[in-house]
Parts: sequence; structure tokens; C-alpha cells
Amino acid sequence: MSIQKQMKTLEYDVLVVGAGIAGGESALNLADLGYKVLLLEKELSIGGKMILLSKVFPTLDCAACITTPKVSEIARHPNITIFTGAEPQKILKKGSHRFEAVVLQKPRYVHVADCTGCQLCEEACPVSVTDEYQYGLVGRKAAYIPFSIASPRAAAIDIDNCTLCGACERACPTKCIDFTQTPEEFLVKIKSVVIATGFELFDPLKIPRYGYGKYKNVITSMQMERELAPTRPFNTVLRPGDGKMPDNIAYVLCTGSRDKSVGNPICSQICCMYSIKQAQLLMGALPMADITIYYLHIRAFGKGFNEFYVQAQDMGVEFIKGKVGKITGKENGNLVVRYEDIKAGTVKEAEHDMVVLSVGVLPNQGISGVFENEELQLDPFHFVNQVDLMASPAKTSIEGVFVAGTASGPMDIPDSILSGGAASAETTSYLRKESL
Amino acid sequence: MEVEKGKTAKYLKEKHIVPKKVTEQLKQFNRTKKSILNALKEGDKTVPQLAETLNLSTHEMMFQLMSLLKYGLVETGEMDDMDEYFYYKIKSDGKNKS
Repeated sequence: MSIQKQMKTLEYDVLVVGAGIAGGESALNLADLGYKVLLLEKELSIGGKMILLSKVFPTLDCAACITTPKVSEIARHPNITIFTGAEPQKILKKGSHRFEAVVLQKPRYVHVADCTGCQLCEEACPVSVTDEYQYGLVGRKAAYIPFSIASPRAAAIDIDNCTLCGACERACPTKCIDFTQTPEEFLVKIKSVVIATGFELFDPLKIPRYGYGKYKNVITSMQMERELAPTRPFNTVLRPGDGKMPDNIAYVLCTGSRDKSVGNPICSQICCMYSIKQAQLLMGALPMADITIYYLHIRAFGKGFNEFYVQAQDMGVEFIKGKVGKITGKENGNLVVRYEDIKAGTVKEAEHDMVVLSVGVLPNQGISGVFENEELQLDPFHFVNQVDLMASPAKTSIEGVFVAGTASGPMDIPDSILSGGAASAETTSYLRKESL
Repeated sequence: MEVEKGKTAKYLKEKHIVPKKVTEQLKQFNRTKKSILNALKEGDKTVPQLAETLNLSTHEMMFQLMSLLKYGLVETGEMDDMDEYFYYKIKSDGKNKS
């Protein structure tokens, strides 16, 4: 307990873990009701995966245009404190309406309040490494703003790749870069916890026969999402293998979903629709391109989804009911897709110049190990278990701990926001019980 | 300890040793950057043309060139006659930037 004595103690009503769209919605609702919220985000920016998307289905609204006003509202709210680069190390239940969390915040090496986001440090930094926020398609500096619409829009130093040359400091007009920062631990006393830790994307390296990693023109749907976004890595949609403008693109649905062989037997709920969305966007970006979608079943179950599917068909997207077995590369960078044509009952091959793997949604499992004296139950697919799904969807196996968004299972953006709302409502009702 | 603002890297240098991999990576990047910019001085080139000149894979060249585009050293030019590849050129005001 000697460490705890040195730790700075903070007190809030609610701890929200994860500042994606679900966690953000929960935090905002709770803060609007007057509760003090501590919002933790492990990344350098809040906004989760949604802030990195191009457009949303089925309305084709700009994702950034929906996310950024919300993100700004969260960032400016007087009742919300945001820690970026921070994760809970452990959470202990001390009694009814009493939790204690140990939160570790990694140093950013920049005083966020003083950073103007001028990017002069970025220009001065001599280092170039892979940009994880562009999913490896392009480089970034070691002194960098994560992406242009990041919140906080402040620089950070990637200490693992920094040469400590000091060029960023000399260039910084506000002297906000500070290499003396160290990791900080906080003891946080709260009354309730909302888990909104989101999801992981399936890593297609686990299916070697699809050639991801080996053939550079096989990319993931998230990489295509970045290529289509306004803050894209290239000047237009190009093949990362050689910079050619593609004109015949294939989508492989159910990559890592509904596939027992990779340990994920369930449907990811979003891949059909985001692939159809990307196909429509690609037809706009590359009017001469042919788009083929290899699918098992198109699951267009939401409001306006089927119309969106039909619209893609009318635009000329080719849908082939087929299971892709293998992808092989040709010398010119093109790819041969070998698939079972389910309707014809035969095995066929087709050549495309780019293949997009529509990767599925996987649970983000780390959070369950953080709870020390009570068990946070997971469902058979390792998402946070909703113990009373129909009547109280945010309820978990620990009283006072609620779940929001894709931490509880695959879902699309409107459902995540709805789930964030449900979690905030249930948290409010739990907090009100204390004052009775 | 009185911290000298704007010159704090030296404090961390005492505690943190920069891995060899990082310095090697920086040297490699500088070499590639220089040779790409030199090759482009001779005329606008596409990714496969640059890759051939520098004896790099087209994938590696695409990554490096797009990074230089992002850092403001290179800009996109016209498309080739087959409408397949873009030509890239040195950005008119980016020649002297590091």
C-alpha cells in the first residue's frame, strides 16, 4: 500500500473507461445531469474508431462531421475530466456505491494546455515511422499530432522512436514540450463505473491463405476507410503496393467473422453494410472502377439498410454469393481470387487489382482482468456479459458497473450511441438509489 | 530541480538510452529521402519508375514517397498516358525544408 500513499487521490461520481462514441455519449449524458465524470482513453485522442471513418451507412453522412461536434462538447464540458493515454490498472469494489480505481497515465511529453497545434515540432522532427492512425499506409514523425481532427488537438512525443535530438523543443513557440514528464498513477474514488472499451478489429494475418501482409494490394477495410476519408493518406484511392489507381476492386466479406476456424463464430453485424458503403463511395471516387463483393449472406437488417443494398446493386456493384478460399498475387500486383460460387456450385477464379478484406469485430478483453475483488463476467464470445439483456441491457455481473457500446458485442454506430444512452440512464438510476 | 524550459531533452538523455534501431531507422530514412528527392530533381516520376531507379520494392517506395508527400516535400503531378499512375514532383517551395 506504500505506492497508494504517494498517489494523488481524485474523486468523481462516475468513471467511464473508453472515450469512443459510446463512452462519450454516456459521459455527456451523466455530465449534463450534474454528475462529475472521469473519462479515460488509452489513445492520444478521444473519438474512438468512429472519428477515423469516412462516412456512415446508410445515410452517407460524413463521420467526422457527426463525431467532432460531440467530441468538442465532451472536451469542453465542465463536469467531464478527460485523461488521454490513460488506462485503469485495477478497480476495487469497496462497498455499495464505493469503488476505487488505480489509473496509470502515460507521459505525452507535451503540456496539452500550452500546445497550440501549430505542427512546427512535426516539421522539425527528423524521424519518420509508421503512422498507426493511418493503419500503416504512410509515415508520421516522432513528434506528431495524431490526426488533424484529434481531440485534444495537441502534439505528442513517440518516445520509443524519438532520438532525443531536441529539434521539436527548439521549434516549439510555446515551449510546451517537456521531456521530464513521467508516468503518473492516480487513486480514483468513484461511485460507479461505465465500461465502454469498444472492440478490436480481426487481424487478417491469422488467415494466411488470404495473403494479407504478403501481397501489398490486399488491404483491410479499415485501411480502405482511411483511403476514402477526407484526412486520407494518399491524394486519392491508390494501391499501397505500387501507387496504381485501381479499377477492379474485390471485397471479401466475413473475414474473421462467422468462422469457427479462427475462433469467432458470430456475425460482426457491420461488415456487410460498411462494405456496401465503401463500394458506393469507391464508385464515386473511381467512376470507371468495377467493384465485386464476395458474400455468404447480406445481412441488411437495420432501417434503410436493404434500400442501401439495392442502391449499390443499381449503381453496378456486383454481388457474388461465394466463399473465398485463396488469394494469390501476380507479378503485376494483381490478385487472383479463388472462390466457391455457391449459386453455380463450382469453384471459380477471378482477377482483381486490389482486394479489401472486410475484417470483423473482436472483443477487447483486457478490462475483465482489471476488476480485482469481483468477477466481471464475459459472454461465450468474450464480450462483457449483459446479465439482464432485455430489461436492463447495461447491467453487468458487478452491481454498479455498467457496459456501453461494442464492449458488450458487435453493433453499429446508432446502436452504440443508444447503448451509451442506456448505460448512462442505468448509472443515473443506480446513483440516485444512494441518495434515497 | 530547476527545469530549463525548451531544452528538456537533455534531462531524459541521462536516463533513457536511445535504441540503436531508432538511430539506424533515422539514417535509413534520411538516405532514402535524399535519393528520392535527387531522383525527382531529374524529372517527374511515378512510383514504379522511382522504385526502379532506387532499386527499392514498389511497396516500400509508395510508403516513403507518400510520407514525403505528407511532410510537404513532394507533390502530385499529372497522370500517365495509361491513366494508371500519378507522376510526383518536388514541391516548388519544399526544396530546402529538412
